[in-house]
Amino acid sequence: MQKTSKSGFFARMKANCLETFAGFKQVVTQAKGRVSASMLIMGLGQLLYKQWIKGALYLLAQIGFILYFVFRGAQDFIGFFTLGVRESNAWYGIEGDNSVIMMLMGILSIIAILFYVALYIANVKDAYNIQCAVDAGKKPATFKKELGSLLNRNFYKTALLLPIIGVCVFNILPIVFMIIIAFTNYGGDIVPPALVDWVGFANFGKILSLGQFASTFFRIFAWNVLWAVTATAINYFAGLGLALLLNKKCVKGKVFWRLFPILAYAVPGFITLIAFKYMFSYGGPINQMITGAGGTAIGFLDVDAKWMARGIGLFVNAWLCVPSSMLLATGVLSNLNVDLYEAARIDGANAFRQFTAITLPYVLFATMPVLISQFIANFNNFGIFYFLRGGLYMNGYFLASDTDLLINWLYNMSIDNNYYSIGAAISIIIFIITSIISLTVYVMSPSYKQEETYQ
Amino acid sequence: MRKNIAALVSHVALLLALILTIGIIGSIAAANSGKEGANKFTGELERGAVLRILENDTAIKQGYLGELIDAFNAEYASYGIRAVDANMDQYTNLEEDGPFGYGPDVLYQANDRIMRYPDGRHILPLPAETLSGYDQVSEKAWQAYTKTVGGENYVFGVPVNAQGPLLYYRKDLLPANWQTEWDDDGNGVPDMIEYWTDMYRYSKQVKAESGGKKFGYMRSFLEPYFSVGYLYSYGGYTFGNNNTDVSDIGHSAGNAELGGKIIRQLASVMDERCIDDSVTTGAYAAIASGEFFATITTPDVYTMFIDEMIAAGMTRAEAEENLVTVTIPKLPASGDLEDESAGFIDNKMMGGVQGYAISSYTKYPNAALKFVEFATSFEMIKRRNELLGIVPARGDVAEQVGGLSEIINGNLENGNIVVMPSVKESAQVWTPLQTLFQDLAKDAFRTADIKYDTTEKIKAALVEADKQIYDSIFTLKG
Amino acid sequence: MKKRGLKLHKAVDAVLTYCILIAVCAIFLFPILWLVLASFSKTGSIYSFKGFFPSAYSFDSFRKLFTDTEMYNYPRWFGNTLVVSLGSSLLGTALTILTAYCMSRFRFKSRKAIMKATLVLGMFPSFMTMTAVYLLMTQFNLINQHFGLILIYSAGAPMGYLTQKGFFDTISYSIDEAARIDGASNAQVFVRITLPLALPMIVYTLLSSFVWPWSDFILPKLLLKNKELYTVAVGLMSLDNTEFSRFAAGAVFIAVPIVVFYFALSKFLISGMSAGAVKQ
Repeated sequence: MQKTSKSGFFARMKANCLETFAGFKQVVTQAKGRVSASMLIMGLGQLLYKQWIKGALYLLAQIGFILYFVFRGAQDFIGFFTLGVRESNAWYGIEGDNSVIMMLMGILSIIAILFYVALYIANVKDAYNIQCAVDAGKKPATFKKELGSLLNRNFYKTALLLPIIGVCVFNILPIVFMIIIAFTNYGGDIVPPALVDWVGFANFGKILSLGQFASTFFRIFAWNVLWAVTATAINYFAGLGLALLLNKKCVKGKVFWRLFPILAYAVPGFITLIAFKYMFSYGGPINQMITGAGGTAIGFLDVDAKWMARGIGLFVNAWLCVPSSMLLATGVLSNLNVDLYEAARIDGANAFRQFTAITLPYVLFATMPVLISQFIANFNNFGIFYFLRGGLYMNGYFLASDTDLLINWLYNMSIDNNYYSIGAAISIIIFIITSIISLTVYVMSPSYKQEETYQ
Repeated sequence: MRKNIAALVSHVALLLALILTIGIIGSIAAANSGKEGANKFTGELERGAVLRILENDTAIKQGYLGELIDAFNAEYASYGIRAVDANMDQYTNLEEDGPFGYGPDVLYQANDRIMRYPDGRHILPLPAETLSGYDQVSEKAWQAYTKTVGGENYVFGVPVNAQGPLLYYRKDLLPANWQTEWDDDGNGVPDMIEYWTDMYRYSKQVKAESGGKKFGYMRSFLEPYFSVGYLYSYGGYTFGNNNTDVSDIGHSAGNAELGGKIIRQLASVMDERCIDDSVTTGAYAAIASGEFFATITTPDVYTMFIDEMIAAGMTRAEAEENLVTVTIPKLPASGDLEDESAGFIDNKMMGGVQGYAISSYTKYPNAALKFVEFATSFEMIKRRNELLGIVPARGDVAEQVGGLSEIINGNLENGNIVVMPSVKESAQVWTPLQTLFQDLAKDAFRTADIKYDTTEKIKAALVEADKQIYDSIFTLKG
Repeated sequence: MKKRGLKLHKAVDAVLTYCILIAVCAIFLFPILWLVLASFSKTGSIYSFKGFFPSAYSFDSFRKLFTDTEMYNYPRWFGNTLVVSLGSSLLGTALTILTAYCMSRFRFKSRKAIMKATLVLGMFPSFMTMTAVYLLMTQFNLINQHFGLILIYSAGAPMGYLTQKGFFDTISYSIDEAARIDGASNAQVFVRITLPLALPMIVYTLLSSFVWPWSDFILPKLLLKNKELYTVAVGLMSLDNTEFSRFAAGAVFIAVPIVVFYFALSKFLISGMSAGAVKQ
């Protein structure tokens, strides 16, 4: 199954490439004078076809891009490769190059180039389409009509433009930046104003060659997977259970009961975490009750409390996440067909059987994507152990404690100890692993496969 | 077809040529541009300067910064110079904000923070000798702000106050018979505030008599700032060569393991709260209520205790009478709190020097220098001492106010206060040490699998911590 | 006989249900109750409490929260937070709804690729990208500006379009078709027909994109240097740790608007969530 989908993927890729190439060949061989003019200067062909506004727009876009490159882009682009040549010295007011900014703006200039390429292709295609229309004796579409299509057939292009630009600049650009940092020596003593350099795969080599890294990585990874699976399962089933409980006919005043989890949702998470840290501390109320009753204080979160601290982490995480999970389950359950239960009852199925046979499959199907995103959120759950048990490095771990997740480890390495490039390299490795797992689950899940059939 | 390919190729080639030529010419031009730098301190005050001053929260809260700014603005109004509160987080990182123009012009922080900035040349080297108060500040305090950059020695900050731990205790809680029972040397000072051995014995007694409800000495071991001194006292150090050689990490050097043993013993007369930070902010109220007899903390929180004691029902006069601050007791040379036979040694403690530095990104370096000079003048430092209870680094002020200020300055001078390392790497020391001290303190309460019952085992733990610090600094470097 | 057994069974079931409910609610209430009690505590430090309860009570921390504004200007932080949250909520919802609608109603070439890409992008350890965001904002001159925060929050919002897309999937095509036969364009269909139908979903999106900036701490801390501009979360974290009762009072007070919203909109919330979830 895996294999067929894989070969299917490559076959599709190949077909796509062939198709693109054929289209390209067709345009190059059949385009005539005015299209060639568009190939040389954007918009020129359209102008020659008397498509004034569109031609002018393409021409303006080209001029705009050239201006951007003259004044900023070209230098940014070259800067991306050199990462700066002149060190700044603030003592004497010498403004030099900031390698990190150059990297960032360099990526931006590459994105701009890609945009330009896309625009150029669109321009040639457009000119060719006009040529075809004229050859066939038709009148090419007017500008007004094309504008109209942006609100109708091509409405998605208009509507998605802003979100895509936003996501590109504020989500994708930073991620690309982080990925690229893994291939530099940024970090340690080499932070601006010192100049950063490209080092290729050296950071990955370092990670592989250092024994401490590998052992810490696998220890934390194993715990991280265990944590993510358990935490997701607990939150999910606790939320579902609570929703089922509240859905019972005998429960009166549902809004009232639901208020308590909502309260938990309303207080910002970091405040709750501080509160919980205090609760479980040696001077906190729980230990005061224990010692008050004559017992000895329990170190819920101290150095020795490996599994206890992990358990408390799970509990606190559940406390934070069950409310929204419950709301979601309540919503899903309200859409469930009640007749199914009636039928099952007649067949003599008990409550447990009803749950496993009807409720669970239905809810699982309906919430699969949410479940995956919850898994990812738990996998990368930074706050829990940062707040509950930060500031510990255990023996046998390199810059981490036995409750730290990979993301906490990354934080210790890249923020507390300034090893940005190594941190970035490790985050790439983690990213690859997690994305393979969750993409596979997502693509195989019925909610993704059967998306169309339920339309 | 050929025409089309030619058009395509020429478009791409033209654009590429454009990008490359402009880009390369631009980069070369940028590399060679820029004036050669000159020293910024010309002595000429910049007219119209507005200086953003970063102070710590306590100074703002107690009104000191307001007074300082008013006084400065009145004095320099004719020069058109004005100082304002930078209105930023007191722990602002200049390295992050400065280069983009969001940092303060003048900043007041502790030496371990300020001295992270010279490496990236984020703060200006100061012509310290030209300042009027230069001779009044001790050599040791200046040292905390001196660093070699590019082969030359520079001073980067002006010391304002020396920070070192003190013992706070409640005089009225001393046993009634202390003069007969707790003053073996007959010097009129209770032994438990002179010697750790007696403090240990007394704490044990208090804890036993109260059934674990009251304590003698109590202090969390979590913070290395307060705990690492026990290691220092027996020969340990953080970085070699006066805290400058980061490749030499020595918390396990000498007999430092004896310091570890002291921690473990002291923990046993407290309760589990000394393992985490439960008693750090709670100490004020606990001292006020009489739950603790004594604790160790810095001089600047004196008013916190007094406030809590007033809240607990004392008058201000009573509170100030009953709360006494003294230097840290002496440690037994034997490294065993139950063995006084070998005599006593001084308890070294970690300390710090807080002071002013000037951002390299300020537009008004000369005005900023003037401000620093003004703020470290005799009058202002004296006022600072009155309002905030800090220990002035200026000798003349310390002499005049006397008491603790003199003692702490003396301790700084004779090396009993070891100034926090003024190197960037010091940030990587805290977490491993914090883990170590928690582990040592916890060991006093372990019933099964006790980890540190012999000094050899403590030594091994210290060596391990040093290795961890070394690794965190060097494994990934270069 | 059998009927009586059934009745008994039901009664036992009800008692059990209520017992569990009370236990669960107690667990949820416990820390919140403590936070509320702490906000009425007379002393600042939490570690001077007598067990669960403060040693003495007073209204002081609430009074100080709103009147003692020289150092810690809570009313101002509150206003700042309101501006940022409302702005990001409105802008973010608009972008999210547009994205979700397009992903649900249109079939275009890169659609599946985009769907997978958004899922994968969410997996990148996000604090690692904070440096980049900070540098980017310095280049755009958006440090110390609430607008910069709004921009980042709302630009990131469309990444979470899945729930909304699920909702649009449930709205039948036939309604669109009918309108289109009457000559309406896709844009008109969206504005006149789909949007009114999606009201519960819009309310849900508004609320959930309001809550995130409302309680976020990392981003405002990074981008707002000036104390005057702080949001409540950053401001509270800057409080001295001997001011815990004031911290607690501030924390209790920011939870109030969200609880009020919940009660006002609980109907929309549930139906919005349900519809979205079923058809993701």
